[in-house]
Amino acid sequence: MKPRSPTENAFFMVTVGLLAWAIPGAGHFLIGERRRAIIIFVTIALTFATGLYVGSIGVIDPVNARPWYIAQIMASPLVGVLANVTRSGQYAVYGRAADVGQIYTSIAGMLNLLCILSAVYMAYQGRGEVIGTEEDEHA
Amino acid sequence: MPEPSLLAGFIAPLEVHTNPQSLLWMFPLLLSIAIIYKATKLRVLFWKRFIREVVVLFITISLFMIAVGVGLNVLVWYLTG
Repeated sequence: MKPRSPTENAFFMVTVGLLAWAIPGAGHFLIGERRRAIIIFVTIALTFATGLYVGSIGVIDPVNARPWYIAQIMASPLVGVLANVTRSGQYAVYGRAADVGQIYTSIAGMLNLLCILSAVYMAYQGRGEVIGTEEDEHA
Repeated sequence: MPEPSLLAGFIAPLEVHTNPQSLLWMFPLLLSIAIIYKATKLRVLFWKRFIREVVVLFITISLFMIAVGVGLNVLVWYLTG
């Protein structure tokens, strides 16, 4: 395979990073780490959905809980869409359920940030092209 | 129009009491952390090794959290008792 130029490589890493943010696991999928991508997508989506189910979508609160929101939006830009829905404050959120929901959704966001960094680093190293194939052969 | 029951779960919080049992909500989160950490950390990802390492990490973090919980409980009991 023809090696990429530095400009192409930078563009590829940015694409991997943005895709990993847009859909958890998509960055790894793009670099050929399909198994990792599935694990990441399922785990982060389930963690985030559990948080919303326990605390209600009201736990996404960009106005009164901004630091939590910054962590939550790391899970996906779609959280911003949800924030527009909840901005009016019409969704009930209270008590221990709100704490659990906020912690689950924020940790899901932070875990996705770890995955974004991991995907970009793997893209930088060109690892997915080699190791992704290696994993498929030993599946 | 009535809302579907599955979606209704997402617009009202569950009832989670402020009792020691509510701390059990920590364990699914610890499992998620163990899975994602190992998924990003392992150089080559083989299923058997991955599952084994996730289980070991999950148990390690869980035991540590339990130890911290017990330690803090003893400290509070000692300071206020």
